[in-house]
Amino acid sequence: MNATLIAPPERLTAAFRQLADGWRVGTRYLSSTTEIAMHPAYQRIIGLGPQVIPLILTELAKQPEQWFWALTALTGEDPVTAADKGRPRAMADAWLKWGRENGWIA
Amino acid sequence: MNPLEAIFLGLVGTDYRVTSPADDEYNCIAWAATEADRWWWPDPLGTSYWPDGVMRAETTEAFIAAYATAGFTSADDDSLQPDVEKIAVYVKAGKPTHAARQLASGRWTSKLGRAEDIEHELSALTGNVYGIVGFFLQRTQPMIDTTTAGT
Repeated sequence: MNATLIAPPERLTAAFRQLADGWRVGTRYLSSTTEIAMHPAYQRIIGLGPQVIPLILTELAKQPEQWFWALTALTGEDPVTAADKGRPRAMADAWLKWGRENGWIA
Repeated sequence: MNPLEAIFLGLVGTDYRVTSPADDEYNCIAWAATEADRWWWPDPLGTSYWPDGVMRAETTEAFIAAYATAGFTSADDDSLQPDVEKIAVYVKAGKPTHAARQLASGRWTSKLGRAEDIEHELSALTGNVYGIVGFFLQRTQPMIDTTTAGT
């Protein structure tokens, strides 16, 4: 999966990466999707607004991490079928397809 | 200090071993039910798998009901019994946090969040991260010796 993105401002990218790194470290051993999504760094990423959607999709293209809560919160949508719920690779593919169809990925 | 031991102090001085690489595809709740391709959790947004018909709530009752869909019923303890597969569910502040599955050897296998699987003593994961062992479940079937996902 290759995602060519509209580049957001450098400062936003740097802030996102710093927060994402903190989130990964802080939630590495958690199984609770709720706790993972409620981590302060994750909530701050959601707080950055829709500008971070391309950055999240880029991360999803690399690795199927738990970005699904953030994407649903940011977009109000959920393109994942019921059969694919909980299957991170399939969920990532669904969101990347959504990103292409909605102009977030060129 | 080993990163795992820095987080789970109960592992220090025990003969635990890492049995898989880190993997985002499944979590401990799935792994306890011998699934290695799905992330189970009753999150309110519905982004994770949770069995149909089971309440999406982070409660003991909801987890017992979820595992019942895979054939598990309540167990009294962690004693090793022939052809009985057991799960230990850890609880912190009244909420389930983690699950481990007993192996035929009597030791336990756990998927640690999105990190590695380990084979360990049951008490080694109690503490600040997962809390205490809250309850046990069991189902009758031949136990799995291997600890590696997909085997």
